[in-house]
Amino acid sequence: MKPATSRHRFALTTLAGMLAGASLLISTHAVAADPIKLGILEDQSGNFAIAVIPKIYAYQLAVDEINAKGGVLGRQLQIIHYDTQSDNTRFQEFARRLIQQDKVDVIFGAFSSASREAIRPIMDRYKQLYFYNNQYEGGVCDSNVFVTGAVPEQQFSTLIPWMMEKYGKKVYTIAADYNFGQISAEWVRNIVKEKGGTMVGEEFIPLSVSQFSQTIQNIQKAKPDVLVTLLVGANQASFYEQQASANLNIPMASSVNVGQAYEHKRFKPPALKDMYVTANYVEEVVSPASDDFKKRFRAKFPKVEYINQEAANAYDAIYLYKAGVEKAKSTDQAKVKAALGSGGICTDGPSGKVCLDPKSHHMSHRIYLIHVKADHSVDIPKVWDDIEPYWLGQVGCDLSKKPDQNQYTPSNLPKK
Amino acid sequence: MPRWLALLDGPQTLGRGPAFWSVFGVIAVATALLPTFVNAFAITNLTYFLVWVFMALGLSLIWGYSGILSFGQTAFFGLAGYAYGVISINLGDAGLWTWFALLVSLILPIVLAVVLGYFMFYGGVRDVFVGIVTLSITLVFETFMAQTAGPEWTIGSARLNGFNGMSNMPPLTFPWGESPIIFDGPAFFWLVLALVVVVYLGLRILVNSRFGNVLVAIRENPDRAEMLGYNVRLYQLLVFVIGSVLAGMSGVLYTLWGSYITPSSMGLTAAALPIIWVAAGGRKDLTATLLATVLLTWLSQQLAVKGNQYALIWMGAILLVVVLFAPEGLFVTLWKKLRGRKRTRQATAPKAVSSPSA
Amino acid sequence: MSFLVQAYAFFYQFADSFAFLVLCGLGLAIIFGMMGVINLAHGEFIMCGAYVTVLSARAGLPLPFAMLCGTLAAGLVGLILEFLIIRRLYHRLFDSIVATWALSLIATQGMLIVAGPSIEGLKTPFGSFELGDYSFSVYRALLPLVALLLLGALYWLFVRTRFGIYSRATIQDADMARALGANTSRIYSQTFALGAALAGLTGALYAPTMTAVPTMGQAFIVQSFVSVVVSGADVMLGLAPAAAVLAFIQSLLTKSYGQLIGQIGLLLTVIVVVRVLPKGISGWFLQRSGGR
Repeated sequence: MKPATSRHRFALTTLAGMLAGASLLISTHAVAADPIKLGILEDQSGNFAIAVIPKIYAYQLAVDEINAKGGVLGRQLQIIHYDTQSDNTRFQEFARRLIQQDKVDVIFGAFSSASREAIRPIMDRYKQLYFYNNQYEGGVCDSNVFVTGAVPEQQFSTLIPWMMEKYGKKVYTIAADYNFGQISAEWVRNIVKEKGGTMVGEEFIPLSVSQFSQTIQNIQKAKPDVLVTLLVGANQASFYEQQASANLNIPMASSVNVGQAYEHKRFKPPALKDMYVTANYVEEVVSPASDDFKKRFRAKFPKVEYINQEAANAYDAIYLYKAGVEKAKSTDQAKVKAALGSGGICTDGPSGKVCLDPKSHHMSHRIYLIHVKADHSVDIPKVWDDIEPYWLGQVGCDLSKKPDQNQYTPSNLPKK
Repeated sequence: MPRWLALLDGPQTLGRGPAFWSVFGVIAVATALLPTFVNAFAITNLTYFLVWVFMALGLSLIWGYSGILSFGQTAFFGLAGYAYGVISINLGDAGLWTWFALLVSLILPIVLAVVLGYFMFYGGVRDVFVGIVTLSITLVFETFMAQTAGPEWTIGSARLNGFNGMSNMPPLTFPWGESPIIFDGPAFFWLVLALVVVVYLGLRILVNSRFGNVLVAIRENPDRAEMLGYNVRLYQLLVFVIGSVLAGMSGVLYTLWGSYITPSSMGLTAAALPIIWVAAGGRKDLTATLLATVLLTWLSQQLAVKGNQYALIWMGAILLVVVLFAPEGLFVTLWKKLRGRKRTRQATAPKAVSSPSA
Repeated sequence: MSFLVQAYAFFYQFADSFAFLVLCGLGLAIIFGMMGVINLAHGEFIMCGAYVTVLSARAGLPLPFAMLCGTLAAGLVGLILEFLIIRRLYHRLFDSIVATWALSLIATQGMLIVAGPSIEGLKTPFGSFELGDYSFSVYRALLPLVALLLLGALYWLFVRTRFGIYSRATIQDADMARALGANTSRIYSQTFALGAALAGLTGALYAPTMTAVPTMGQAFIVQSFVSVVVSGADVMLGLAPAAAVLAFIQSLLTKSYGQLIGQIGLLLTVIVVVRVLPKGISGWFLQRSGGR
C-alpha cells in the first residue's frame, strides 16, 4: 500500500485537475452585436430526452435559417439553451437564470406539463413571453403564454368519434395517473358519452409502473372495442410490447404516443399494430411542405432519430415569434405579446399554414390521423384541416379582452 | 462566557478557537453584504443553494452523528412544503398568517417523525432497515401525491394538483403599516442566511453537549451505550425528530423560494441527493456538511449550465474521486490535511448485512 | 368465466410479480445482501445486460446467446469496477452509496451519449396462449420458472461448490478465511462479478419485454432493494419467501383496487414486514430454527 501522504497528494491533484477540467467548461462565448436572445429550456437528457431532442434541433434549424436571411428586424437570433435534465427543479433554476441574468427576449420550452407548470408562475411573475410547444391536456389561459402544441379538442374530438365509428362504441382508457392523464381521460369520457358510447373501464397507472400483466387482464375482461392509451414516459411505454406478447389485439387510440416518442420506430413490430394517433405532424406525412422541411432538417441534423410533431411545433414557434416581432416592430415583450395576440399571426410550416388564436393564445392545426400497421409502417386514413383551439374561447377564456393566468379543465371552468 | 456558548467548540465539530471563528464571522458578514454588490439573480440563486442546507445538516445529525441512515428525509421536506402551501393559500397573507403557516408546517414533520421513529426504533428496526422503511415512506408520499390531480383533491381553497405541483402560495409577509414587508429577493435571502447561521450554531452547541456525546456513543456502539444506562431508543427518536424539523424547514423554504412544491421532491433521486452531499462532504461534521451542500448544489448547476451532455458525467467522476480518496468526506479530509494529521485506516472485511453481532 | 380461469389469471399475475421481484433482487442479493455493498448502480448493471442483449440480438445472434452476452458483459463490467473502485470501499460500506450513485450517473449519461435516447427493442419470444377470455404471454408465464431455477442454481452454487463455500466463508469472516488459505481478494472479485452478472441476466431476461432506454434501471431499483432487505441476510433462504409475500399482496391489491393501490400497498407491506420481522424473513426463519 502506498504511503498515505503521497496517495493523498495524488488524490488532491486529481481532484484539482478534475475541477479545473470542469471549469474549462465554464467559459464565456463571444457574443455578436445586439442579438435577439431566445431562451430555451428543454430536456436534452433524462427521461424525456427521446421526444425532446428533435425539438432542440428544430429550434436550431429555424434560427439558422432566419439568421441566414438576415435575422429579424436586422438583428441576428441567438439561442441560449440550458439542459433541464427532465428535472422540474432545474426548470425553475434555469427559468430564473434566463430571465434575470441572461435577460432573454423570449423563452421556449418544457415538455411535460409538470415542468411547464413549474415555470409558468415564474413567467407570469416577470411578465416573460413564453412559448409552450408541446401537445398537452389543454386549458392554459395565460396572457404571457403562447401554445403551439395540440390540445384535446383538436386531438380527441377528431380521434375518438372516428375510432368509435370504425370499431365500436365500447371504450377502455388506460392513462398515466397524473394531471395530463387524468384530464385527457376526462375529455375522452365526455366525448364517448356525447357520441353515445360506453366507457367499459378506466385505469390510471402511476408513472413508475413498468409491468402491466394485471392491466392487460383487466382490459381483456372488459372486452372493449377501442383501447385509449394515454401513457407517458419510458416505463409506461413497455405496455406496448407486453400487450403484443399477450396478444391483446385491440385497436388502440392515443394522443400522446407515436407522434412524440416514435414508439413505432423503437419497438419491434407488431407491438403497435393498429395504433391510431392524431398528431399535427409526423415525419411520415407526404406533402411539399413536409418533404422540404424533412430535407432541410436531415441536411443539418443527419443523426436525428425521428422528426416528431414537437419538432414541427418548435420550428413553427420560432417563425411565429419572428412574425410577432415584425408586426410589433420591436422586441419589447409587452408589444410582442400584444402583436402575437392580435390575430393574423401565421406561419407556413411542415404541416401547412398554422395561425395563433387571439382568444386562447393557442394554435390552429391540421390534424393527421396516423395509423400504424402491423409492420410499423404508417398510413394516414384521414386529415382534418384547420381545427381551431376552440374550447377555451367557448368556456370563457378571452385573452384579447381579459388578462388571465390560469389553467382550466372541463371540471374547473373559468368563473363567468 | 455562559457554559452553553462554550459548547460552540467541542470534540464533535471541526474548527475551534479565535482563528476559526473570525473566519466564520468574516464569511457570514461578507455573505450578508452580497446583495449590495451582486445582481438580483445571483442572490436568488445563492438563496436556492442555502435552502438545502437545513436538510443536509439534519441528515448529518441523524446519520453522521447518530449512525441512523434515513433515506427518507424528503418525506418531511415534502410534508412541510405542502403544508405551507395548503395553509398559506387558505389563510392568505394578511397579518402574521404566513408565519403561522410556517410554524404549523414545521410541526407536522415532528408528528410524523414521532410516529415513524417510535414505530422504527421502539420496534427494533435497525441499520439498513431504517433506510428501507424511510425510503418506502417517502415513495408512498410521492406516489400518492402524484395522482392528486383532480379537482376533488382540494383542502379548503388549495388544490393539491398532483404531479404538476402546487403553486401560487404567498411569500412570507410581515405587516408594517401601509406597505407590509414581503420576504422576497434580498429580504428572503437574509432570512434564510440568518436561519442558516442560527441553525448551524445551535447544532454545534447540541452536538458538543452531553446530548451530542451520547449520540456519538450510540453511533459507535449502541449495545454498549444501552448497557451503560442510556435510553438509546429515546435518543434516536429525539435526534430523528430534530432531523425531521430541519428537513421540513428546507421544504418550507424551497416552497417559498419557488412558490411551488411538487411530488418529485419526494422521489428516489431527491431522496438520494442529501445523502450524497452529506457523504461527500463529511457526514460526521456539521461544517463539512454545510460547505459540501452549497458547493455540490452550485457545482451541479454550473455543470448543467455551462457543460453540455457531459455535465452529469463530470459530476459522477468528481464524486467518485472524492469518495475514493477522501474517505471521511472532502472537507473533513481537507481539514485534516491542513492540520497535518495522518490517519491510519483499518482494513476490515465486508460484513453481511445483519451479522449476529449487529 | 369459469372459476379455474379466474384462479389461473390471478396466479399468473402473482407469478409474474414474483418473478419480477426475485429477478430484480438476485444480483443485489449477492452484492448487498451478502457483501454489504449498497449498490445504487444495480439498475445500471441491469441496463447494461439489457442493452448488450438487444445489440447482440440485432447483430444476428440467436436470443439465448444474446442473453448470455448480456450477462457476461455485465459480469465483466462488474469485475472491472470491483477492481478499480469497489474493493477500496469494503471497510467503509456507507461510502459505497456515493460511489455507486456516481457510477449510476456516469453509466446512464454515458449510455445516452453513446447509444442515443433509445434503441430499437426486441420482440418477446414464444407468442401467447389463451384461456377463457384471457390470453397470456408464454414467455412471461415462463419467467417465474426461470426465477426459481436461478434460485436453485444459486443455492447449489453457494452450498455445494467450493467457490460457494469459500465465498460465504470469506464474507462471514475474511481474516479467518485468509488464515485458512483463501485468496480473499479474488473471491470478493468473483462474488461481485457474479452479482453483476446476475443483474445483467435480469436485464437480458426483461429486455424483450421493455423499452431499452438509458434510464431503464430506474424501473427495477426500488423493487430490488425492497426484496433484498425484506429477505434478510441469508438470501438463499429469504429471497423466494420475501418475493412471494410481496408479490401476493401487490397482486391482490392491484387486482382489487388498481395499480396505484398496488404500488402503495407494496411499499406499506415492506414497512410492516420490516417492523414485524426486524431481521428480515430469513432472520426470522433462522431464529425460529434455533438461532445463529
